[in-house]
Amino acid sequence: MTMTQAPSGSSSGTPGGPLLRVRDLHTEFRSEDGAALRAVDGVSFDVEPGRALAIVGESGSGKSVSMRSVLRLLPRTGRVTAGEVWFGGQDLLRLPERQMRRIRGRDIGMVFQNAMEAMNPTLTLERQLTEHLLWHGVCTKSEARERAVRALGDVGIPEPERRIRVYPFQLSGGMRQRAMIAMAIVTRPALLIADEPTTAVDVTIQRQILDLLAGLKDQGTGIIMVTHDLGVARYFCDDSVVMYAGRVVERAPTRELLSRPRHPYAAGLLGSSVELGSRDRPLHPIPGNPPDLASRPRGCPFHPRCDRAVLPRCQDEQELIQIGGARAVACWRAEDGHDDQ
Amino acid sequence: MGVVRFFGQRLARLAVSLVAVSIITFGLLQLAPGNFADIQRVTSGATSIAGTGTESMLAETQARYGDDTPVVQQYLTFMKGVVTWDMGPSYRYAGRAVEDIIAAAFPVSATLAVLAVLLALLIAVPAGVFAAMRQNSKADHATMFGVTLGHALPNYLIAAFLILIFTAFLGWFPSSGWERPEHVFLPVVALALGPAAVLARYVRSSMLETLREEYVTAAMAKGGPYRTVVVRHALRNSLIPLVTVVGPLLAALMTGTVFVEALFRIPGLGYYAATAAASRDMPLLMGTVLFFALIIMVVNLLVDLTYGILDPRIRAEGGWTSSRLRKVSTQQV
Repeated sequence: MTMTQAPSGSSSGTPGGPLLRVRDLHTEFRSEDGAALRAVDGVSFDVEPGRALAIVGESGSGKSVSMRSVLRLLPRTGRVTAGEVWFGGQDLLRLPERQMRRIRGRDIGMVFQNAMEAMNPTLTLERQLTEHLLWHGVCTKSEARERAVRALGDVGIPEPERRIRVYPFQLSGGMRQRAMIAMAIVTRPALLIADEPTTAVDVTIQRQILDLLAGLKDQGTGIIMVTHDLGVARYFCDDSVVMYAGRVVERAPTRELLSRPRHPYAAGLLGSSVELGSRDRPLHPIPGNPPDLASRPRGCPFHPRCDRAVLPRCQDEQELIQIGGARAVACWRAEDGHDDQ
Repeated sequence: MGVVRFFGQRLARLAVSLVAVSIITFGLLQLAPGNFADIQRVTSGATSIAGTGTESMLAETQARYGDDTPVVQQYLTFMKGVVTWDMGPSYRYAGRAVEDIIAAAFPVSATLAVLAVLLALLIAVPAGVFAAMRQNSKADHATMFGVTLGHALPNYLIAAFLILIFTAFLGWFPSSGWERPEHVFLPVVALALGPAAVLARYVRSSMLETLREEYVTAAMAKGGPYRTVVVRHALRNSLIPLVTVVGPLLAALMTGTVFVEALFRIPGLGYYAATAAASRDMPLLMGTVLFFALIIMVVNLLVDLTYGILDPRIRAEGGWTSSRLRKVSTQQV
């Protein structure tokens, strides 16, 4: 498929700098009994234009909450308590809601996991693909329709002129997912956040969607791909961030991370991955469960499950340590250079 | 094509149901002890003029229906009257035909009902949405408290208070009658407040549920102003379940509201149905019961149609639109 649309670079980051710079992000949820649960605990990462960043981790590790914190779309009980989110020369966390709204959907697009749930069942595609163009005053109504048809065609939906009139439930699962991507890219955002966009679809469609996103990346769009699937990360993400219990435990170029993970959790994640394990190597599931947010272990959150843990040092806070040019690991033992095999 | 078949099936089912209702009602009334003449003797005395009047009328009605004919014959005679819209004279309201009473009283009750439901919705939808958008805030609690108050008061008490305030103290509205537009106000308000309370709670909880839907978050992620998102994406979808509540409510109000009609002296259906039941006025009772059944069924039909209008998935499922792209599976709906 051909991408005729170039991302609007107008409001992207400072020249030469990253598109999005997240620093020390903290997000809390208030539980029923009033206790604060730290879902995101000091997360930092950068996204460069024309590159894709994978945020990898188990469910509950704070991946999606981080993304919603960036867009300030947390549920009522959630709150960003600290941090900075720099985009287009502004800290999004300090922006008035009215200005934040102009960024959502126009400069930062979001693709959700399940199009069946993320698209309104009672509105036609036309309505859902054009409304934000009109909200942001990007173009007139008839132009919006044209752009929406073109976006549907770009994501590989046949007969877009006709399909724009249907409701989401009238499309097959794969087409619906692609329609949702069309909805996110119709405004040509500089940054696209994709929250497990391929988890709910068949493997064949997974590939199509990833190729579609890769095409956008080549056009200069920065992409954040939230996933628990290392295969997806390997397929098209340049850089990866591994999250555990609301923290970044390792940050590295994807290729390096997969060939030689430095954090024991990243290694464990790789060892328990069916797609990436070699046939003659047995799977090594990580023992135990991710910690409950209400009773987080002291120091490194992973140490109770870690086979390389040494007490009491692992009960101290683990800062991200820079190792090599682009890598950082939150484990004091990483510099030992342990083997991942 | 789909629409025609949908309607045809529903109308056929409606006719069958009506026959069933008529047989059951007629049977029950036959089984019940006592009759119109007995009630008249007890309430007015056998020797009074009314009594004699009744006796002569009884003779007339007996001539029409033939009380000594078999029950099945009586039933068929009555049903013939229903079909030909000629149900004969009422016992209680001498000289007036049952169909004329219904034809005169129904528009009154229907006007009251439609206006009351509209007013109830006008109060309930904004109140429910307002409360839902500020869930657990003081505004939410205050709104829901007021709503509960409206729910707790029976409509005849509300009616009494309204008459006290607007007629006795302020003198703004007449307390009874049904001739001029200003007669409509007080009874409509009295009827609307209770349902408004029920509906507001319903709108609130339905709205809260819809606001948690992913597509609402997705619309916010597209940069939608909160209010626009609430109205366009959440409100419509949360109103769909509301239709199931509004339909029967409308039907209930249309079939008459005995207390409110009595208090405001409104010649509505409820009043006639109640007196027909109390005096065992067979033709009027049968006529009104069948008419009520018809109204309820028609309203239910309208509810289903409204569902289809509001929700394209149901439209496609019910088969009253045909689309080449149609692709519905249970797992998707």
